[in-house]
Amino acid sequence: MIIAERKPIDEILGFLSQHQKVLVLGCGGCVTVCLAGGEKETGILSSELAMARSKEGRPLEVAQKTIERQCDFEYLEGIRHMVKDVDAILSLACGIGIQTCAEAFPDKFVWPGVNTKFLGVNLNVGEWAERCQACGQCVLDKTGGICPVARCSKSIFNGPCGGSQNGKCEVDPDTDCAWALIHDRLARLGQVESLREILPVKDWSYSRDGGPRKLVREDLELESGK
Amino acid sequence: MSTNQNFQPKIVVFACENSGWLAAEHAAELCLSYPEKVEMIKLPCSGKIDVLFFMKALEKADGTAVLACQKENCKFLKGNVRAEQRVSQTGKILKEIGIEEERVGIFYLAANMGHKFTEIVQGFYDKIRELGPNPGKVIK
Repeated sequence: MIIAERKPIDEILGFLSQHQKVLVLGCGGCVTVCLAGGEKETGILSSELAMARSKEGRPLEVAQKTIERQCDFEYLEGIRHMVKDVDAILSLACGIGIQTCAEAFPDKFVWPGVNTKFLGVNLNVGEWAERCQACGQCVLDKTGGICPVARCSKSIFNGPCGGSQNGKCEVDPDTDCAWALIHDRLARLGQVESLREILPVKDWSYSRDGGPRKLVREDLELESGK
Repeated sequence: MSTNQNFQPKIVVFACENSGWLAAEHAAELCLSYPEKVEMIKLPCSGKIDVLFFMKALEKADGTAVLACQKENCKFLKGNVRAEQRVSQTGKILKEIGIEEERVGIFYLAANMGHKFTEIVQGFYDKIRELGPNPGKVIK
């Protein structure tokens, strides 16, 4: 899941200072699950903005809507009639949804209402942790299902490093050493000997080193090319 | 603070149906009165209250509160604890936008406390009246 966090209210009010009518647009995907930009957060922020601007004596007309997903053009098409009536959109989707929204409505201001943090998991109520860096070439088969790219602070491939102490990382004592976790898990599975295999240098060309990535699956393309 | 003695605040009170709501009915049986501009909304438990409810209420009201069961006496165990957290969260949001956090409150009482109910509602009404109109009110 993509984890996001709502931006501070002052920053958002700054974005909207020039507008009189905005659409606060929530997303029913990841940001709903991580409580940053779902229907409820959209409602709360809409009220907060309207009240803050009312207090300033510069009323802001706020429309609100939460769609299934902002990262799909189909769902954005469904709100075109709402968008034409507003000066700007405040998107509470992740960075992907915000950009898709801006692409769908090129003549409208689209402002980000959240900071997209990472790809992660919900550990506890109000607590999330990073689990994947979308590096493009998964090695979880070799590391017992624990990712050294995302969970080792140094992303090293043949750990642990000398900074691992009592299962914790030297970068942050609250962070588990990924390689200690990998060792313990493989030991539990009776596979610890597999760690004797030295992993080769990672080919980062599958990651961001080649610029923005794109995936094309010809098997899914229709005859029309769409 | 408002010096306008004619100001009659609008208050939205959310009440747990196991305590606050029954206390309001008890007050009615005792023919006790409370200010006219207090709107009551019944909840199945105070734990049903949400920051969103308070915020939407404050778009048109001067103050809002939730009436919950006495501490450690919630029928659903932790509803009143959660309600307290949501009052606190709402207070923080209000503070962020420069609105007095006292405009949202929580009060604890039991079903048979009709007198206490009117005392609470009148007290909150008077406090909001002292604060004056909600400067963030959207629906005038």
